[in-house]
Amino acid sequence: MSTLDRIKDLAAKEFSIDAAGLDPAAPLDTLGIDSLSFIEFMFKIEEEFGVSVSDEDLRSIKTLGDLERHVAAALAAAGKT
Amino acid sequence: MGSARRVAITGIGIVSPLGQSLDEFHAALQAPRSGVVRLPEEIAKRTGIQVAASVDWDASRHFSAGEAANTDRVAQFAVVAATQALTASGLDLAGADRDRVGVYWGTGMGGATTLEASYERVYGKNDWRARPLTVVMAMNNAAGSNVALKHGLRGPFANFSTACSSSAMALGEAMRTIAAGRADAIVAGGSEALLVPGTLSAWYALRTMAPADPEDPAASCKPFDKRRSGLVLGEGAAAFILEDESYARSRGARIHGYLSGYGNTCDAAHLSRPDRSGQARAMRQALAEADLPPESIGYVNAHGTATAVGDVVECEAISEVFGASAVPVSSTKSMHGHLLGGAGALEMAAALLALEQGILPPTAHLEQPDPACTVRHVARNAERIAPPRAVMSNSFAFGGSNVVLVASRD
Repeated sequence: MSTLDRIKDLAAKEFSIDAAGLDPAAPLDTLGIDSLSFIEFMFKIEEEFGVSVSDEDLRSIKTLGDLERHVAAALAAAGKT
Repeated sequence: MGSARRVAITGIGIVSPLGQSLDEFHAALQAPRSGVVRLPEEIAKRTGIQVAASVDWDASRHFSAGEAANTDRVAQFAVVAATQALTASGLDLAGADRDRVGVYWGTGMGGATTLEASYERVYGKNDWRARPLTVVMAMNNAAGSNVALKHGLRGPFANFSTACSSSAMALGEAMRTIAAGRADAIVAGGSEALLVPGTLSAWYALRTMAPADPEDPAASCKPFDKRRSGLVLGEGAAAFILEDESYARSRGARIHGYLSGYGNTCDAAHLSRPDRSGQARAMRQALAEADLPPESIGYVNAHGTATAVGDVVECEAISEVFGASAVPVSSTKSMHGHLLGGAGALEMAAALLALEQGILPPTAHLEQPDPACTVRHVARNAERIAPPRAVMSNSFAFGGSNVVLVASRD
């Protein structure tokens, strides 16, 4: 399963939405994900992938696609890919 | 209450060890049936506490997986009880001015499960990354806030945390807010969910917890009995819809009765030892506010936790206030355990069985009354009387807080 698919699956579970219909380019707030929910979700993403996303990077994440890129970069930096 | 508005009770919601609706709760009280059970062996061994009254809870019946994971058990109970109560009241929130519908809630410990999970992670696993939702799930006002959020209730909001009198205080203060014309309706009640090992062990340390009855664990809590051995913790929630009488009547609501009296005193004597005079003053205050003589009270739901000292002091205080009128008294904690912050609201719901139907729920397992507890007991089995004019419910808390509520039939 690709990193994006894993993220979509986790998001679907966290927010009770359909993974298949998740657009990686859609702004998070249009998916009904507010800032508090997103911080909690990021905590689970960090646990799932064993990575850490800085506060600065976190602020730049506006879509699930952005999130995937940050996770992929963190995995690469940790030599996990 | 003079010219103040009367406050009608129009809906009740229950999540309890005795069932998850008012009807189930009342049926169990009447049977009588106890919800006290043995705790799993590994919890009993670690914490010392052998029995509790827990709720048979399936969060997936009420919440999505995501909602359930992000809402503490104490708030889940609150939301479900409040929603039940709103449905039962028939209050059409879509058509109501929700700026005038509030939430007054009570809880002793708040999100104990969340807090304990966080500490388990930090101290138990040496993992210092706490869940981001820890604060908003564990905070004491989260249960009431979740109720407001769920139903869009934007009126007055308050959260009371006075240990075992929390939800009784929420009901009393809600009554006064409505009587003063500051809200049309308030969802008032309380919830507690602290049957987690760290909290259980703290309670055990107080040395006031009943061990399991060797023959019948369900009979471990024996208020007013010579054989009583302490309290049994419970969990759950009870919610009331309280309304300005004219508002309730204008929409043709079914009125269960009126919340008419509220006494609130502090012992200022000791953090945990009960005080007869503080309790008696609270009972007298409640009667005075309801404008009723003691003889009009047909049933008292006692605080009655089954501790050695507490039961005696409460019986003395009741005798002081009621004198020779020999009002029937019971402690339904013998069946549903001690819901702490949720106790006052749940026990007022028990008292309504007496007010509406004349059925007095008993102190279950009361076979050998302590001669020092000289009140007119409703012992072992429910009794039936002509529906009384009014009923009383006592809630006395650690910290010296005494809250007494009176509900009237008309």
